[in-house]
Amino acid sequence: MAGRRRQASDTGLGEDWNLLEITGGMYSPLVTQEMEALERRIESLRVLARQAVASGERDRARGLRAELRQAERQWDEALARLEAESAQKLDPAAGSEPPDAAGRSRARGVSGEHSGSAALLPAREQVHQALTLLGGPAAPRLIVAVHGALYAGSLPVARLTSLRRDEERSFRSAPYARPYYVCAALTADLLAPARGLLAISAWPMDRRIIGPLSPRVDYLIAAIRIAERFRDLDISGASADSRRLLWRFAANIPRAASSISTMDPDEIVIAARAELAVHERADSDLRTIGAARARAQLDDAEQLFGAGLRLSRSASGDS
Amino acid sequence: MNAVEAQLDRIRGEVAPKSHNARTIAALTSNPGCARRAIMDAAGVDKQRLAAYAGFPAPFGQSQFAIGRGNAFEAQVKANGCAELLKLFREHLGLPVPEVSYDNLEDVGGITTLPVRHARTRALLARAASEGPDAGTLFDHPLLRLEVAGRPVYLEPDLIAFHLHGRFHVVEIKSFPVIDGQADGDKVAAAAIQSAVYVLALRGLLAEFGTGQEAVADTVVLVCPENFSNKPTAALLDVRRQLTVLRRQLSRLERVESLLSLLPPELTFDLDLDATGVPRRAPGALAAAIRTVEARYAPECLASCEMCFFCRDEASGRTAALGRVIRDELGAVDEVSAVLGLADGTLVPGEEQAEATAVLRAARRLRHECLSGAA
Repeated sequence: MAGRRRQASDTGLGEDWNLLEITGGMYSPLVTQEMEALERRIESLRVLARQAVASGERDRARGLRAELRQAERQWDEALARLEAESAQKLDPAAGSEPPDAAGRSRARGVSGEHSGSAALLPAREQVHQALTLLGGPAAPRLIVAVHGALYAGSLPVARLTSLRRDEERSFRSAPYARPYYVCAALTADLLAPARGLLAISAWPMDRRIIGPLSPRVDYLIAAIRIAERFRDLDISGASADSRRLLWRFAANIPRAASSISTMDPDEIVIAARAELAVHERADSDLRTIGAARARAQLDDAEQLFGAGLRLSRSASGDS
Repeated sequence: MNAVEAQLDRIRGEVAPKSHNARTIAALTSNPGCARRAIMDAAGVDKQRLAAYAGFPAPFGQSQFAIGRGNAFEAQVKANGCAELLKLFREHLGLPVPEVSYDNLEDVGGITTLPVRHARTRALLARAASEGPDAGTLFDHPLLRLEVAGRPVYLEPDLIAFHLHGRFHVVEIKSFPVIDGQADGDKVAAAAIQSAVYVLALRGLLAEFGTGQEAVADTVVLVCPENFSNKPTAALLDVRRQLTVLRRQLSRLERVESLLSLLPPELTFDLDLDATGVPRRAPGALAAAIRTVEARYAPECLASCEMCFFCRDEASGRTAALGRVIRDELGAVDEVSAVLGLADGTLVPGEEQAEATAVLRAARRLRHECLSGAA
């Protein structure tokens, strides 16, 4: 989790947030640093091993060669991680596949047509689109899956990892300058940013608070809204990705559907609503209370991006 | 920092400690008499690196790809408030529909230090134990603690599920597949004993609040991919036998303090790394240092300890290296050369070796008959 804080000058973006998402150059600085240290060590080990062999120190030569093998293996693994990250950035749908000759990713709509263009909107707007449909806080993976299945244009999941931090900086430097911000969801008990969730600042506070029942409630609401979207459009023409997305919900909701081929959006909605009725009341009570606390205790930026706890100097005794 | 910690730090040297986990604890308790392993694990020594540098690289290790695959599967089944897990628990544990509460103990308001996470884990689990199902169902990344050889070790099971009948179930998520209802026996056995470590730790935690043992089920839930897909399936594992073995072995682990008191105070396994991380210490000196701590090699070590080849080489020529069964049968005879000498009559047995000698001579005769008969 720790890492060098990214400076605006790193990306060359400055304060101009209207640019399309960043491409190239911003691979994880930690992996690169790690590889550079390994490269220095490997170089050193090679020289020392050669010298040990030449001077007949067999034990030391063997030990150094074992160290060399281990360092080279670690380097290979780090390279694979770097490769996976860069491939994700260029074509998130293909995962680790290399991009095609034009370096473009495919666009997808519910009807499955290919428009062959790259991202049509900045990442933050695509996230806004997907979250608006989902209706509640969601994890980057789900946002990317929803966007990929139901909207045109690609959305690289790697772009989302820094989005919340970028939006916070943007807000703090010019509060409310934009009509909405991609922000955090806060935990009801500690009012801290919930791990791995994104929300929209325009939502009321209680929609941006997470209690223990909220992950399930928001999952059911998402299922309902995606199924209703299918009902409004023609499901028989739906792309495989869209069907798979809907099935990911239907498969885990009691009595929603028995198989991906017999899925019926109406049945899914009914089943999700049935379970939602069980949790809804308790969840919304907790969220309401949490929201009231947040409005009372937090400033504007903290209400959007959360308050962290800080250990007081005297309390942080041991490791 | 007390004297024990200081001595362990000196033994480990100038590197960050490798932390214990359920896997290492399970391996440690399978060979409780081995002081070498006990000291190395307590000090958090990188056994794989040491063994390799000393000239005896371990025959196994966890590949980064396997780790990545395991992490991906775990993230998948825990996504969206553990949607896939809830489905499995409803089917296999009879988890009632209203129980979906999810608490994430990976950090506490942004703080990820172990003592803070552990304190919060204790608070939430104790509340769940006393208040019932409304107070929590799924506890993700809980941080438990177990006393091992007189020192506390932090442990992180994959998940703890708690449901209506007032019982906590440890959940282990593994990425090895269950194919047509069957999984790799060794891997399942390893998962079972690791889960038993968590069960023990959880019972210990709850006992501090006066909650009885039966509050933690002795069946654990093992979640694996089904056949060749990513779809998860769950199996219930009865770990009562593993719990009995573990409890007994843990109590037999000598306190690290008393082991340390027998060692020279300046003992260290430090590799003396230079600025680029290259060891400067001679492998021979390292091996000599390792040998000052007594080991207890058995063939089982080959499957569970990175020092196995080093210790096997050290033990070669001794009957102990041939396994516990043989060592027990030939109790009084230490050396393989002595065994052979007693068998063919070139050595005269002492009083306590008489019985073993009779067995050996009979075995030799039988062997001779079998081999010449076959010719």
